[in-house]
Amino acid sequence: MNAIEIRNLSKSFRGMYAVDNLNMTVPVGAIYGFIGENGSGKSTTEKLICGHLVPDDGEIKLFGRDYTDAGVRVRVGALIEDPGCFPGSSVYQNLMMQAINLGIENRDEEIRRVLQIVRMEDSANIKFKSCSLGMKQRIGIAMALLGDPALLILDEPINGLDTDGMRIMREILVDITKNYGCTVLISSHILGELEKIATHYGIIRQGKMITELSADEMDARAQIFVSLRTKDMQGAKALLAAKFSDVREEEEYIHVYDVDDTAAIVDYLMKNGHVVSEIKKNKIGLEEYYIELMSQKEGK
Amino acid sequence: MEAKRELQFESPSFSKRLKGMLGVDFYRLFHTPMFYIFLAIAAIIPAMVSAMTMMPDQNGNTMEPLYSNVWQIIAASEPLYVINSIADYANMNMVFIFGGIMVSIFIGHDYKSGYVKQLFTTHAKKQDYMMSKSVVCAFAMACMCITYLIGGVAGGMLAGYSLEVNVGSLILAILGKMIMSLGWASLYTFLNIIFRRYFGVSIASSFFFGTGILIIGVAAVVENLSLPASFLNIFLYGSSVNACLVSNVGTLLICIAVSVAWAIIYNVLGTRILTRSDVY
Repeated sequence: MNAIEIRNLSKSFRGMYAVDNLNMTVPVGAIYGFIGENGSGKSTTEKLICGHLVPDDGEIKLFGRDYTDAGVRVRVGALIEDPGCFPGSSVYQNLMMQAINLGIENRDEEIRRVLQIVRMEDSANIKFKSCSLGMKQRIGIAMALLGDPALLILDEPINGLDTDGMRIMREILVDITKNYGCTVLISSHILGELEKIATHYGIIRQGKMITELSADEMDARAQIFVSLRTKDMQGAKALLAAKFSDVREEEEYIHVYDVDDTAAIVDYLMKNGHVVSEIKKNKIGLEEYYIELMSQKEGK
Repeated sequence: MEAKRELQFESPSFSKRLKGMLGVDFYRLFHTPMFYIFLAIAAIIPAMVSAMTMMPDQNGNTMEPLYSNVWQIIAASEPLYVINSIADYANMNMVFIFGGIMVSIFIGHDYKSGYVKQLFTTHAKKQDYMMSKSVVCAFAMACMCITYLIGGVAGGMLAGYSLEVNVGSLILAILGKMIMSLGWASLYTFLNIIFRRYFGVSIASSFFFGTGILIIGVAAVVENLSLPASFLNIFLYGSSVNACLVSNVGTLLICIAVSVAWAIIYNVLGTRILTRSDVY
């Protein structure tokens, strides 16, 4: 069973398709990184899943049930665009409203639990409008976590966060999937951060799903290479090309592909009279893959 | 995944869903100053109307009193579908105007804060939203009727008006107006659903309908067509006006029937709009 299964979903605004015949499969227990440029249809897709928008066409199933099923929707937590809190109410009051809405019985206990998960136990009485951006995002996660959700839909939850905020958010997301068994659909522009936590990816462009792949498949595609600089770049390149199959000179560096043993390269070059002034190990990751994919689609 | 759980999805019953939505709306109502401000407004306005009419004008002459009886501040002496003076208008029906503005603010904040996203994510059935808002706002308006009563009586007594009244009719009139709150709250909820993206238009439309301007126009037509004025009781404003100081049990029953009927109509229409169009 999949947590989300979307078939041929379309949604248009004034004749323009924001989501165009989209197909999507999110396995249960996955952290699904939903990637796409601005206006590609990520938020629209998420709003459609949450029932905020009415689709023109297509089918959305959550855990094998129609997405309008009250039983499944009550187990969906969402943070789309903003946490949706009343600014004049305290963090606790906002969480209390959502706890009442969800019909949670041990409300106080549940609120303390989610505040602990998002590391905001001491901020319950602060007014929402006084919270920093990072705190607001975490409150949004806490709201979404109330009531034992089976699916979390998070739209750009790490946008605007500082390095520490991103780390905390990352830890929270990994924690809730591992310890609470949630499935997470997360969209983000910060691909480096997404790469650290996602188990699956979906790349959307102009409302269409371009590709879906697992983190393992992404790893299999990822290319490792060593970048280096020497005084005699041409001589070193020729020497390395004789030993390694894929050697290229790009952007003032010699790149030796499918190799990760920097010591062996340094040793080899030194033995042949070349002094390496700089060397580093690299990986073509999600960001590079995404850029390459987008370039292909744009026909560059 | 390290902690796989068995996934069970139990569909909440209608009553459980509604209880959750009502709970959050009542919590919001009691935890925001707006409700208490409107209760105070409902009390102050009739007191001010009573007191001001007794103040001397620029020449030092005492103005002609608007009312002869304290209870006319609460309800008109007889059903007056077409008003001739401000005194005909200035009674507990004004609560439905303040109430309209309150409903607009209450629902507008749902959208402005984005909280409505949380509600619609977890409540797949849109009728939950319509019903809950109608009931909670009706409750708030009924509370405003009570503070209006207190303010009106206090103001009238200070102004020295007579307290003579048929107690039974008075109680039935007040109960009738309180019951009409449900129909009015449903109308305002419906209007706010239509204009949910335009806060200003929501308030303006609520005010417009709350004043009963439309029904006053209809009343004039009815009068010209020689139709019985009681025909107007099928409308919210008509029934609200009909609940006056000569009310009887029949008046109360009309109020119940009209209020509930319009509440159902507006809830069905509002639910259809929310189900068939984008909610946020």
